[in-house]
Amino acid sequence: MSLVTALKALEQEEDPGTTDPVMVTLPMAEDEWYTRPEAVSYGTVRLDFEADALRGDDDKQITAYEGSVDLWSLARNGAGWVELIVATLRAHCGGSWSLNAHMYERETGLFHWEWTFQVEG
Amino acid sequence: MGMSFTVSGMDELLRGMDKIPEKAAKVAAEALYEGAGVVADEVGRAVQGIATKPFVKAKGGFKRMASPEEKAILMQARKGIAKFRNNGTEVNTSVGFQNSGYADLDGERVPIPLIANAINSGTSFRQKQPFMRKAFAQSKNKATAAIENGIRSREDELKIDD
Repeated sequence: MSLVTALKALEQEEDPGTTDPVMVTLPMAEDEWYTRPEAVSYGTVRLDFEADALRGDDDKQITAYEGSVDLWSLARNGAGWVELIVATLRAHCGGSWSLNAHMYERETGLFHWEWTFQVEG
Repeated sequence: MGMSFTVSGMDELLRGMDKIPEKAAKVAAEALYEGAGVVADEVGRAVQGIATKPFVKAKGGFKRMASPEEKAILMQARKGIAKFRNNGTEVNTSVGFQNSGYADLDGERVPIPLIANAINSGTSFRQKQPFMRKAFAQSKNKATAAIENGIRSREDELKIDD
């Protein structure tokens, strides 16, 4: 599943809920998110929580969900994934995204990027 | 044909206007403090909601979730409002664990902001629990309302003195 497909899947999810986030595994992740796959780069896309809602007629008319894209890579430059993820976020989330964190994990030698975005649900 | 106006008391008015930026900054800072307090309270509540599991040796020898000890550290830590910054046109601050210091964890002295960040953003061996992002998003409207109310309640301070 590509990142584009993953983001589309998130957008089309009717009731993503807030306690059980939708998680879409990127193609380079071959295992569950909490076990580190033997890959140079891998990542996840998930919806984290309901960020805001426009109310009317005693109901939520539009709901915004905040999600995140995480990339882990042994390569300092992300082995090309950074550019791909940024381009995809630009294309699918307009201006509603940002790079929230960029860290280095001493224990694993992995570089970690975390982007957050908002989509309408 | 023209029309002329004579305005008296301009000196007093100008002197009063000189004080407006100073008064506005004071009002803005006080209102901002109230809004930031709303966010800090929400962060405090969010910390209580962090899910924990006792330390476990997962695949690769890494733990997968925040430990009860880490949660306890965050609950006791100062969720402070940073020093206000005023650049002349805006006053801003930030809320979080920036100045919360260090804690002893698993025999190491660890910066508390690092613990908060690792739980909030996750790592390759730890489940992400975006409690801070969630607290910020969910307190945004309440904080904005608190700031607006704070400014409204101090409108008298912005009046130009006679």
